[in-house]
Amino acid sequence: MNSKNLHLNEDQVIRSVVDENDLTATVGSHLSTCLVCQGKKQQIEQQLSTLGRMARELAPLPRREVRLPFDKPRSLWSWRPVFVAGFAAVLLIAGICWYALVTTSQEKMMSQIMRETKKDEQLMAEIYALEEYAPVDLYPDISAESDVGYFDEFLRFVSPLEANQNAV
Amino acid sequence: MADTYHDVTDLVEKARAGNRASLEQLVDHFHKDVFRMVYYRTYSPMDAEDLTQEIFMKMSKSLSSLKDAGSIRPWLFRIALNRVRDFHRKKSILSFFGTTTELEAAAQATAENHNNPANTMMLKEFQSQFRKLTDSLSQREREVFMLRFVDHLGIREIAGILKKGESTVKTHLYRAIKKFRQNPGLHRLLKGELL
Ligand SMILES: [Zn+2]
Repeated sequence: MNSKNLHLNEDQVIRSVVDENDLTATVGSHLSTCLVCQGKKQQIEQQLSTLGRMARELAPLPRREVRLPFDKPRSLWSWRPVFVAGFAAVLLIAGICWYALVTTSQEKMMSQIMRETKKDEQLMAEIYALEEYAPVDLYPDISAESDVGYFDEFLRFVSPLEANQNAV
Repeated sequence: MADTYHDVTDLVEKARAGNRASLEQLVDHFHKDVFRMVYYRTYSPMDAEDLTQEIFMKMSKSLSSLKDAGSIRPWLFRIALNRVRDFHRKKSILSFFGTTTELEAAAQATAENHNNPANTMMLKEFQSQFRKLTDSLSQREREVFMLRFVDHLGIREIAGILKKGESTVKTHLYRAIKKFRQNPGLHRLLKGELL
């Protein structure tokens, strides 16, 4: 059998153009090695390719622009992610403020308590000191004029004459 | 402008999430393809404009139902094909095949679009021959042939668009190519005698 007898006929070449995998094993094997049959196949493919290209290039072009529908106003449901994000942000901010507030007031309260405690301690220390070192009973007589006669005695000591005259 | 598969997929994802700019870019990306697809099924630039508008409206409304962003092109072509079918169902048989005036207007529009009025006759010749070819095909053969070689879709994508098995698509394609091979007028055009 010579190679001429094995050449693909027109139908087989067309089938190979549609899908080479659909050829029988024998025909496919011949096509893969025969330049004559490959040439026939390529010629048909070239014609179809040129036809397609011409049809594309020679078709009129659209002149009118495509108008798309206007955007519909968004439904409340479609805003849901925005609402959720906003609510989350508000919660976060509120949380931060609350934490800051609580922390600050706690600190203030603690320092207030510390100051009060310190004052109390000071006061207690003073009281304790007063109790510990209380003045003797004589002490108020020196400062208060409980005995006016003491001054007369002093004058008589400084100037006995005048004191006597006054006494007369 | 979206150039790669990933760019387009990215645009689809963003447009589905409500990004208006991405939706507009998506329309820009497919505008010519969809218009041309509709044009070769109506042969009327005016009707193609109206249908293209409707197809993109449908696309923008249904984009959320598209499961795989990567399959936007075949999905969009399926919408387009369904819309064209509805159009033909409603139109009279005369409008379906187009009138001579419509074909001339189409050739004129093409020549103006390509800034080459001198080639109007040549374009008219191509469109006439191309029309003869597509008219010689059955509805299924024509659809498969156009989707494969003009709209550049793969066998699997075409099967998805038409909701047919891949073997059925291949059978229609085989028959369409056979008829194409028997069209001498087109071969003359393809050899570059007119272009
Ligand atoms: Zn061979």
